[in-house]
Amino acid sequence: MNELAIKELLYTLADNQLILGHRNSEWTGIGPILEEDIAFSSMAQDKLGHSLAFYTLLHELGESDPDTLAFMRNAAQFHCCHLVELPIGEYDFSLIRHFLYDHAEAIRFEYLAQSSYEPAAKVAAKLRGELKYHLLHANTMVKQLGNATAESISRLQQSLNYAFPYALGMFQPSPYEADLASSNIFPRESNIQAQWLESIQKILAQTQLQQTAVHTISPVLGGRLGQHSEYLQPLLDEMAEVINIDPSTEW
Amino acid sequence: MLLTSLDPRINRLQVPADWPNSAVKKQLDQWATYEVFTQKRENTPYAYVGPVHAPDLEVAFVFAKEQYSRRAACFGLWVVKTQDIQHTPYVDDNESVFNLLNIPAPATASEQSEAFEIFMLKKRGKAHTHAGTVLASGYQNALAQAKQQFGEQIPCVNIWVAPAAKILKSSEEDKDWWLTLNEKKYREPVAYKVLDKINAFKNRTTNTP
Repeated sequence: MNELAIKELLYTLADNQLILGHRNSEWTGIGPILEEDIAFSSMAQDKLGHSLAFYTLLHELGESDPDTLAFMRNAAQFHCCHLVELPIGEYDFSLIRHFLYDHAEAIRFEYLAQSSYEPAAKVAAKLRGELKYHLLHANTMVKQLGNATAESISRLQQSLNYAFPYALGMFQPSPYEADLASSNIFPRESNIQAQWLESIQKILAQTQLQQTAVHTISPVLGGRLGQHSEYLQPLLDEMAEVINIDPSTEW
Repeated sequence: MLLTSLDPRINRLQVPADWPNSAVKKQLDQWATYEVFTQKRENTPYAYVGPVHAPDLEVAFVFAKEQYSRRAACFGLWVVKTQDIQHTPYVDDNESVFNLLNIPAPATASEQSEAFEIFMLKKRGKAHTHAGTVLASGYQNALAQAKQQFGEQIPCVNIWVAPAAKILKSSEEDKDWWLTLNEKKYREPVAYKVLDKINAFKNRTTNTP
């Protein structure tokens, strides 16, 4: 078993869930309407829970404890993609990001559940149900707003255009991708991207939204290797603001 | 002037400190309400938990799931537009609303019959609970059928009737939405174990002169 490859995969999964979970939690209390505020916040909390599950697996492999991993690393030590780092913007952007991200996440969890690396397979199988709801939420809202008014359609369209290069950055391959694939731990990112495209197109086809040709867009890469947008470090500072007051405090 | 707050999220929103003079909204310029029922234990009747407001039934369903099943155990979810529910008048506790229903005995199910779900309220202040399904040609006929099938169940202070086809119901495969709910005790107020600390603080402050 290639431990380095597994650790890199777990860090990527966990960091993406943690950072997007934290970003989406920024809507708590200021969501567009009460019911959506509650739903979006709950799903953000779920994502933090997913990151905890993966950090726990890393801890079992000898890495630091989950709190240290989440709060005490610098941006360069994170493996998340730029998509999850971007500020929440207006709700249309956060919704589109949630839609684009969760379709990929659902595919990843389906593969993970079949992984030859059993600890991750167990986590994925257990959390699958939560993902199903997240996807239903994203699809329902995108179909609703993608067909509603001229303003909602044009807002979603602009956000989709803006987010798309970042979304393609979700599929940056692991440096150990060949190992992971040949040992049936995790498939190649290009496989996931192809399925993801099909999966989002099925939903977008039911809306007034247009999707630009993928081959004309260059993905925003680097996150998986520790090269991040200007937005990550300030987010990490804010996230760790409380723990940094007294890192030894027990909660 | 921008609104400033100790909460950095608010500052990032860059909203004006003064509430803008926006046009007054028209009356009733809002979404419709939908009523939500959940199944709290497997193989038990669905019970009413409350309303959500939403632009359509699908969105109402998505909202209802987090609004009403993010804490308590749940095995199923039903959502129906408030307008699609018809109800009887209320009677006092220990009475039966069925006595008010002077509806002719139902004819045998006709071609136009459809399924209606019957929800009965046993006591004021409790929740309407699903009593069963009847086949009827309309709301009134459904009530008459309900009287025949459930009329012995007293007290019953109020009845709701809704066409089964208008209710969006979670499916068997949706049950795994709630599988991990047991591990989310942190959503409960009891998860915040602060009482020890509060007592320690009280002791400290009352013992020092």
